Amino acid sequence: MKNLTYKDVNKDVLRPLFTPDYAYLGVLGATLTVLVVTGLCWLYQMVYGLGVAGYHPPVFWGVYITTFVFWIGIGHAGTLISAVLFLTRSRWRTGVYRAAEAMTIFAVMTAALFPAIHVGRAWYAYWLFPYPNQRQLWQNFKSPLMWDVFAVSTYFTVSTIFFAIGLVPDIASVRDSTTGFTKKLYGVMAMGWRGTDRQWHHYMAAYGFFAAIATPLVLSVHSVVSWDFAMADTPGWHSTIFPPYFVAGAIFSGCAMVITLMLPLSILFKLEDYIHVWHFEHLAKLCVFTGGILTYAYGTEYYVAWYSDNQYEWGTFMDRVYGKYWWVFAVMVFCNCIAPLVWWFKKVRTNYVGLFVVSLIINVGMWFERFNIIASSLAHNFDPAGWVYYYPTWVEGGILVMSFAWFFLWFLLFVKIMPSVAIAEVKEAMRPPLKYEPEHAAK
Amino acid sequence: MDLNRRDFLKSASLATAATATACTIDARTPIEHVLPYVQMPEDELPGTATYFSTACGECASGCGAVARAKEGRVVMVEGNPDWTEGHGLCTRGHFGLVGAYSPERVEGPVTGGANLDWDTALQRVAEAVKAAQAAGKSVAWLGNYRTGSLDTLLGEFGTATGLRRVHWEAFGVESLLAASRAAFGVATLPTYELANAQVILSFGMDFLGTAYGAMGMSKGWSSAKNPANGGFVTRLVCVEPRAGVTAAQSDHFLPPNPGTELAVALAIAKLAADKVKYPNAALLAAVDVSAAAQASGISEEKLNEVAVWITDKASVILPGGPANAGTSSSDLAAVTYLLNDICGNIGKTVVFGKEQSYGTVSAYADAKALLDDARAGKVGVLFIDGANPVYNLPAEDKAAEALAAVGLVVQFANEPDDSTTPATLLLPPGSSLEGWGDANVTSGVHTLQQPGMTPLKLSRTVGDVLLGVAKLLALPEPSARSNVEFSVGDGSVVPGSEVYTPSTVAQQPMGFAHESFRVYVQERWKRRVWDGVGTFDTWWVGVRQKGGSFNPAAASALPLTLAALPALPAAIAGAELALCIFPSSNFGDGRYSNRPWAQELPDPISTSSWGSWAEIHPKTVAALGLRETDSIKVKTAVGEVTLGYFATPGVREDTVAIVYGNGHTNVGRYGTGRGVNPLSLISSAVDGGSGALATYTTRAAVTRSDVTSDFFALSGNLTMDGRPVAVACSADEAVAQPTGKAGSVLHLHEPEWDKRLDDANIHDFFPEPQHPTYRFAMAIDLNSCTGCGACIAACALENNIPFVGPDQVRRGRGMSWIRMDRFIEGEGEHLDIRHLPSMCQHCSHAPCEGVCPVLATYHNLDGLNAMIYNRCVGTRYCANNCPYTVRRFNYHTWTWPESMYLMLNPDVSVREMGVMEKCTYCVQRTRSVKDSWRDVHETVPDKALEKLTACASACPTQSITFGNLKDSAGTVSKLFLNPRTYTLFGELNTKPGTRYLAKARHHLAGGAPAHGSPAHGSPAHGSPAHGAPAHGEPTHGLPAAPESGHGSPAEHKEG
Repeated sequence: MKNLTYKDVNKDVLRPLFTPDYAYLGVLGATLTVLVVTGLCWLYQMVYGLGVAGYHPPVFWGVYITTFVFWIGIGHAGTLISAVLFLTRSRWRTGVYRAAEAMTIFAVMTAALFPAIHVGRAWYAYWLFPYPNQRQLWQNFKSPLMWDVFAVSTYFTVSTIFFAIGLVPDIASVRDSTTGFTKKLYGVMAMGWRGTDRQWHHYMAAYGFFAAIATPLVLSVHSVVSWDFAMADTPGWHSTIFPPYFVAGAIFSGCAMVITLMLPLSILFKLEDYIHVWHFEHLAKLCVFTGGILTYAYGTEYYVAWYSDNQYEWGTFMDRVYGKYWWVFAVMVFCNCIAPLVWWFKKVRTNYVGLFVVSLIINVGMWFERFNIIASSLAHNFDPAGWVYYYPTWVEGGILVMSFAWFFLWFLLFVKIMPSVAIAEVKEAMRPPLKYEPEHAAK
Repeated sequence: MDLNRRDFLKSASLATAATATACTIDARTPIEHVLPYVQMPEDELPGTATYFSTACGECASGCGAVARAKEGRVVMVEGNPDWTEGHGLCTRGHFGLVGAYSPERVEGPVTGGANLDWDTALQRVAEAVKAAQAAGKSVAWLGNYRTGSLDTLLGEFGTATGLRRVHWEAFGVESLLAASRAAFGVATLPTYELANAQVILSFGMDFLGTAYGAMGMSKGWSSAKNPANGGFVTRLVCVEPRAGVTAAQSDHFLPPNPGTELAVALAIAKLAADKVKYPNAALLAAVDVSAAAQASGISEEKLNEVAVWITDKASVILPGGPANAGTSSSDLAAVTYLLNDICGNIGKTVVFGKEQSYGTVSAYADAKALLDDARAGKVGVLFIDGANPVYNLPAEDKAAEALAAVGLVVQFANEPDDSTTPATLLLPPGSSLEGWGDANVTSGVHTLQQPGMTPLKLSRTVGDVLLGVAKLLALPEPSARSNVEFSVGDGSVVPGSEVYTPSTVAQQPMGFAHESFRVYVQERWKRRVWDGVGTFDTWWVGVRQKGGSFNPAAASALPLTLAALPALPAAIAGAELALCIFPSSNFGDGRYSNRPWAQELPDPISTSSWGSWAEIHPKTVAALGLRETDSIKVKTAVGEVTLGYFATPGVREDTVAIVYGNGHTNVGRYGTGRGVNPLSLISSAVDGGSGALATYTTRAAVTRSDVTSDFFALSGNLTMDGRPVAVACSADEAVAQPTGKAGSVLHLHEPEWDKRLDDANIHDFFPEPQHPTYRFAMAIDLNSCTGCGACIAACALENNIPFVGPDQVRRGRGMSWIRMDRFIEGEGEHLDIRHLPSMCQHCSHAPCEGVCPVLATYHNLDGLNAMIYNRCVGTRYCANNCPYTVRRFNYHTWTWPESMYLMLNPDVSVREMGVMEKCTYCVQRTRSVKDSWRDVHETVPDKALEKLTACASACPTQSITFGNLKDSAGTVSKLFLNPRTYTLFGELNTKPGTRYLAKARHHLAGGAPAHGSPAHGSPAHGSPAHGAPAHGEPTHGLPAAPESGHGSPAEHKEG
């Protein structure tokens, strides 16, 4: 780290908030355009029905649920990095945790679109929420989809609160650098933060407290999401390994997504001083670790399918390799099991290109992993007469792109209005300024 | 903002109004206005159905039917349980309802695009007849078979006007009749009593599908298949090139080299004659068995074995059908009569007395001769009644040209077809549900067709038109008896033939002085059907209630008079593929092609729909290097067609089989331009003995085409992949324990069956659902299921199931609540084709119920897995979690074309886009019958439930039985204890209400693996796809031991 002063930190981190350059505006405009255009796909689907998607019964779930799980998975890294690594006092989190948390929230917001996109009557999607109504209708709490509703909404709520708390000191910094209405606005959000010792004392207690609350959620959300599959009787889904396997996969994809997002961000906004290779290297190591778990889980699935001697299970797993979806399986294995291995080499994991390319590959691989689980299992169900080959249509493609546009829109807005690196924590990690600075130390 | 109180209120109320409007208008659920009757029709109770016993008018079989009318329109057609000659109704019969509501129906008489009133139209006909007679041109009739009153009327009308009558149908019975004439000297067809036949040897007759008399034979065959009836399972041997609906049921599939069927029949006859010491064995002296074996490719041992089977036990030998329609088809049929005589079947399984007649039957040669004369300008007026010469004759005959040369073509049709031109005078006869008529095929069995509703259009029945024209022509009342003749290919008249034809029994002529055809029918019944006991009016009321007079004549025998053996035809020579044309199971000779539900109904064998396809052997596919998306080009000397292919081991390697029924140029929006017409591939070669069109005479060059195939099969995998889905056992096992109460652990549901589990201390985590009075259940006997699809047709009509069109069906989104799984395993003689109708199984532990987040599906007290459409959000989780994949999702807003909305059953709601639906066990019917029995404080008796659901009621082989499991004496309860009964995917412990009875197959006997016999709930040892290798392990007896079945689903994984 260069010898930065607290003032430099404020200046550097808050720069994006004040000077939107043309590159930023261009990217924002492009994202908005893509969002509107692809949003029309959803409108088209609402009007004409889900038939415009590629569903081919018995494949009743397809790209939408795949993408839902994908985004929920992405949403994992944020909480992991901010809460778990906070509790374990991993110092490398400071540079990346703010953006990772924001990513979590936006990913969950993106994921939350998909149940509505996916259901047949989106206009009644609110029936999934238990609310008092005159029709005396109630929900089925036996259904994993209901658990999903609660798991995801809880996760979203806690993550948002945790995010908001973490922001308080930094918002105060923003407040102090602005004037007029903006100052008022940030002032409200800063909730009267003065940076006094007393405030810091309470703040740190609350932060630790929320970190402790958020930690189990890292495990719970994706476990519950995995139950959507594990609780079903479909061969290829009905498996007890799913919760840990999904959680590992989620952390894997989440960390990869943090790299994918933060690399360009740090370059675009010249934050290399705060988010540097050291951070990314740690994320890459985490990816290699969770990728290993994932590879092990893949193997275990096959072992259990073989060992169970259940012909349906084994049939499904063989079909994944040798059936029509072999290419999905191949993409998945390459991207998730093989590609991350290059990060064992320090040269690769400390190199921007190496980091970025492999993180992208992991993102693609994790999407295909969910597609592999969902589509290929359903397409090779119990009854051989029902075996089909499902492939998505342009509408599903459009909505998939829409989800990215939606996510990036929020992320772009976030970097514009919030400090994307935790100023207070960066400062904490620095050598504190002394009243009488020795001259040689200033160099 | 400067906003005063008034402005605020204004804008607020505007916003409220706008929001309210937006909420009220929901385009997805259109608002419907329900209006009461202004004047209540007599005998009409809104919401209550009226049933009319009638006759199905879709083909000449005249099957008994019941039309169910609601609020003045027929919404359902089903089989008439009182009718003696069959059970249920076939798919084509059910879809007669679709024809009645076809949006293409013309409003009234039409010519040159202009509507006429009936008086003018009849005037024109009469004038044209007069003009033709004056010009010395003939007045001709080209129509389908007609029996009963219309046949009588036509006979008398024909005599009076000199009408040249040709009644010809593609795939008709003319060659069989010629054989009857040759073998017995009669012009009727014997009735085949299959119920008593322990061995059936068929030379291509599609007696479970498209053949005339199929309903009766299906009923008989299903009875012979059931080991509980007589302690045997009939053995079916099929000698034909392609396995269709019938040959799919065969225990021994013996496709001979093309063109050698007659040689095979003769060889078997000789071997059989030797065995039984046939008195007239000299007749067969010249037959060379080893030469026949050599030529046909069927070994001498096999021929001998077949001869032993048919002589050892009560047997029946069935003549050639569409699959064996070669140049000697009548000779082949005659030899089957000889075979029956050798085996002593005449009078037992092949009966006369109670025989069959289809009225006047002409040969293809007659139709061709008529059209040749028409082309030569010799025909002044041509009546076309139901026939479609442009489509049904080979393209080579250029029927369209011939029609153009006719002075006036009068066509009786409800909608234009390929033969209609602007000059045609189109007279709509109305649907058979709208007019009077009758049919008499089996002697002594008369079905009465009475209207179930007012005609939707200005239509008049053919009979009414004839009576009207007769009046205008002032035809003299006939004095002599009607002169109905049976003509053969050369146009000669068979003397004495009318003696045996019920419709020509010497009686007083009917004359033309009847005010309507209804009166005519009634009068004719009074004179010719009524037994004279009591008063006619009383009898007539009874007839109208019952739907006819069903007193089948006593069976009798006739002496075989076959004097000489036919000469053997040359084999169909050539190195290319032999071309076999077979009629579609759904639209027969193509007359029903414009019915969207018929188009959508998957073919029983290929499971394709909305098009044509060719069936070729997988080795042919490999030899041609075809990819899945490729089409093939089939080329003969006469023409060529390009179409998709279906690779199946159910067809000979040297044969290409093409479905007939599609490929129309003009039959309305659903049938036009769909598929190909294979008749463009054949020349007008005929069978020498009868003048029947010989469709199985040529070879065709098959090559790869670059056109992308439009073929798709709805059944995903050809084989079961070793899974116990459509389970089969050996016939011996089935016979050993026909009904025994051996039980099996697969019977999990009811307490007495659960006892063993309780003893073993195996309990479910969740409690059993409560069923205080009813636990509705269904037993489906796969042993007699032919996959014909009648259940699917009935279900679609009863439950307002929409058709979705080819693009959606291709994506597997057909809405049919019943999916017909089809599996083709094995090859050659032991080809094993199985069907499994799967609909919602109404599980007690339903996987779908638990996963629905909004409780849109739940288990009710009747044992039904109920579905609340209005509550459904459409997460489709239930469908994913259903191991039977029987749930259907409404991917779009499906629409019924204009007039077809009238067809909707008002008892069943129409589902909107985005909701899930599935089989309800016809909940509207169970509710209704429960309610009516509750009025007398009783539970519904078994008899009232047995055939209650639309599918059970429709099944021609009575494979589906419905009932209440709480009634332990009920049929279903008993069937559930049958040793053949198993639960589909029973190891999932879903405790379904639908159980299946395993198929019994003869070739599975003797240590051959019984693929996933119900005892195991596990698959076969070894892959059935690889020709079912013999296995060292002894076949287990039928289940008694509860050791498996709910434990490990797979003892043997390798499939």
